[in-house]
Amino acid sequence: MTADLNLLAVMEGASRLVACLLLAPLLPGIINKVKAWVAGRRGPPVAQLYYDLARLWRKGVVLSTAVSPAHVAGPAVAWVALVAAAVLLPAGSGAALSFQGDALLFIYLLALARFATAIAALDTGSAFEGMGAAREVSYAVLAEAALITALLALAVHSGSVSLASMLVPSAGAGSALLAAGLFTVLLAENCRVPFDDPNTHLELTMIHEAMVLDHSGPPLAAILHGAALKLLLFSVLLTEAVLPIGKLEPLPAAAALAGGVLATAVGAGLVESLLARFAFRRVPLLLTTAFLLCLFALLAAWKGGGL
Amino acid sequence: MTPGILLAVAGICLVAGIAVALRFARAWLCLTLAGCAAALGACAWVLAGGGTWELKTAFPVGGEALRLQFDGLSAFFMALISVLGGAGAAYAREYWPDSRHPHSAATGRAWWSLMLLCMGAVLVAANGLQFLVAWELFTVSAYFLITRERQRREVRAAGWLYLAASHAGTLCLFGFFALLAARTGSWALGPMRGQPELAPLFWLVLAGFGVKAGFFPLHIWLPSAHATAPSHVSAILSGAAIKMGIYGIVRFGGWLPVPAAAGWTVAAVGAASAVLGVAFALAQHDLKRLLAYHSVENIGIILLGVGFGLVAARTQAPWGQFALAGGLLHIWNHGLFKALLFLGAGSVLHATGTREMSRLGGLWQKMPWTAACFGLGAAAIAGLPPLNGFVSEWLVYLGFFDAVSARGTAAWAAIPGAVLLAVTGALALACFVKVCGVVFLGLPRSAAAERAHENGRWMRAPMLALGAACVAIGLAPLFFWPAVARATEVWGPARADAGCPASLGILGAANVAIAAVALLGAAALWRRVRRNGLRRAVTWDCGYAAPTARMQYTAGSFAATITEWFEWILCRERTARPPEGLFPRSAGRREHTPETVLDRMVRPAAAGVMAVSAAARRLQHGRLQAYILYVVLALAALGLLAAAGGVR
Repeated sequence: MTADLNLLAVMEGASRLVACLLLAPLLPGIINKVKAWVAGRRGPPVAQLYYDLARLWRKGVVLSTAVSPAHVAGPAVAWVALVAAAVLLPAGSGAALSFQGDALLFIYLLALARFATAIAALDTGSAFEGMGAAREVSYAVLAEAALITALLALAVHSGSVSLASMLVPSAGAGSALLAAGLFTVLLAENCRVPFDDPNTHLELTMIHEAMVLDHSGPPLAAILHGAALKLLLFSVLLTEAVLPIGKLEPLPAAAALAGGVLATAVGAGLVESLLARFAFRRVPLLLTTAFLLCLFALLAAWKGGGL
Repeated sequence: MTPGILLAVAGICLVAGIAVALRFARAWLCLTLAGCAAALGACAWVLAGGGTWELKTAFPVGGEALRLQFDGLSAFFMALISVLGGAGAAYAREYWPDSRHPHSAATGRAWWSLMLLCMGAVLVAANGLQFLVAWELFTVSAYFLITRERQRREVRAAGWLYLAASHAGTLCLFGFFALLAARTGSWALGPMRGQPELAPLFWLVLAGFGVKAGFFPLHIWLPSAHATAPSHVSAILSGAAIKMGIYGIVRFGGWLPVPAAAGWTVAAVGAASAVLGVAFALAQHDLKRLLAYHSVENIGIILLGVGFGLVAARTQAPWGQFALAGGLLHIWNHGLFKALLFLGAGSVLHATGTREMSRLGGLWQKMPWTAACFGLGAAAIAGLPPLNGFVSEWLVYLGFFDAVSARGTAAWAAIPGAVLLAVTGALALACFVKVCGVVFLGLPRSAAAERAHENGRWMRAPMLALGAACVAIGLAPLFFWPAVARATEVWGPARADAGCPASLGILGAANVAIAAVALLGAAALWRRVRRNGLRRAVTWDCGYAAPTARMQYTAGSFAATITEWFEWILCRERTARPPEGLFPRSAGRREHTPETVLDRMVRPAAAGVMAVSAAARRLQHGRLQAYILYVVLALAALGLLAAAGGVR
């Protein structure tokens, strides 16, 4: 499979990417709205993150006296890595860029984003941010194992290592298992309850929020937008792994994709409303469960005999 | 010029280097660099143009006619050695100068040249005896390089351990070459795949070269030797010397028939080394010891690729080529970024005088170049795009995924292989976030770290060159593919040639794009920050009024979550003095990670052997009466035996 580089494909890919970047901040808004409904509050507007981003982008920056240039470069590199991952992920039929083995680049781009964020956090020399970075990179070990197992399941099922072909069919017999596993990974990687609490203000209990304590202004905007984009990426991955979106006509495919992403966001909101955050020592247990779910999905795909 | 002439020039330069090393440092450096450049030229010739250069003379060396052979595989390894040999030689000029080390610097230069020469000789030797001679000289010269500071006790201990372990390995190699010569009737080396009775010899190869390669659990000598050697020596030890073990395994795995279980064993050993190596690395508090354990990890990744290559070679499966190519490319990559990291660690040691990470911190302010180069190396070793480590790991993954898609027996091994490789990658990332954060970022944790200074250009230039090589392989993998293809081609077992993975070029282009956009993005964000206005303040510490550098997160705390998962093998020793009373005056906590295999297995076993030997030695004490008693007892025992058996 070679990259299709004609003008039309490039235009289509670019417009898809722009849509991705523009729509991403909606997801945290939806989750917050769901949480507000469950709690019987009115909650912030769905578009709240857009306002926040616009405000942060115009704000001045307070930098710690200890930080190196990596403190500003980190959020930029992380954001670029996530955007590059978005380029690889197909939305509907065909990605902007697709080649044999792009699934692995996808995983390692997420790792690059993690590396950049954690380095930027440690740069301040703050114990809280050290704590957050340590938790982030530690739990990511298990999350990455689960994610690669999920991709192996998709590869077995579709016989390909390219996201565009892997995500065309549904995951087959193991769909439910894979969905549960990927949803757990989504919650962990995007710092949602029960792994992390995006709302808390007690640093000791946070992962992601603890890492960005010292960021402000445009770098914080890049981090927040990157986080929203990552959430969107995982929701799209989950939806496409479970639903055979690549086999539908463009319009139903877009509708199904939007529905799936919306359902994922609502699901994350409901989990957040109904569950309390786990104690940190139980987090590895839950992530191991996610890994096992993906492993069983892999076995199911193996038994299912592929296409 | 042919490769032969270039190799001869390289050899002459190195020999001349040995001659002038003691007196003329500058001439030695020029000769070494010229020799390395000539050798690199010969490698480029063979790797780009193909073909094999051979020399058969009647000139006897070690009682056998001298036979040399320089093919793609030799060239692949020699290219790495010449790059690191040159970089280390330049680095040593400032790092280990005559002014600070009046005696050891001069002899160190001679040993350096000798080691490069002998490593080259191992690579071109096509005769078992000559191979052994070159191998032994290489091992011994490495010992003298490791023990440059013999006045220190820990250096002597590390050197002794290295020598003992290496010779245990060499013993296996003696056995291997002797048995090979006995069965084939000649010391000549070359492809002999048609003789299946030679297959069991592979286990001797694996054990003998495995000690040098340092895979788990034969890595016992590696951490202490790498940690205590001068840093440019650590760089070439980790970058090139342990690769000679891999060379042996790859070379004889290709030339000889291998047993059915060989590929599986190599892959299993590789997986164990990869995961456990990085687990041990996470628990270290000594910067260079940590890097040494990462060598165990990366040797594991290389062996994963090579092992699957061996497995696939039996069934002619095309995916094996990707795994093997990934493993081979990782040899280069690991050599480059690990040498870069060791040189970076050497700069830190040079500037602060300590390898203890908990005494460092905030070094980026004083040593921006070192910090940047080390950061680049850290991203590369963590396998992050767009750098070289990712390209080789990507190739190995591609082999695994294709194996899984092909659904053979190999798929059952490829699934855990891929998962463990992912886990290794994530653990390595965690470890290098820790190292970069604790050593270079934040605030200085000690006065030594505060007084640090950037090093001069002789130490910076090799690091920049190695960093540039890391970036180059990451951005233009297609340019380097022919070299890997040449090495896999001559490697051996005939099999389906899968060719270059079609997407490698696209991966390279994607890497270029990512690198460019990331640089642009960082620049744009910085501009935006400057335009919006920038204010400086202390790090926010929850409103605490007097934050100090000692309140920063430590390396031990950073890795605590992960090291707890591996407690079953780390067996850490802890001593704590908890605070007591209402106004505690002092409290402390010390944690040490022993080398589990060495301290829990090898040392007790060695102590047992020593106890038995000491007991046996008591029989020999020089008292004649007792000796006569032995003779009488022995005769009586013989008589009894004869009587019981019935004399015919």
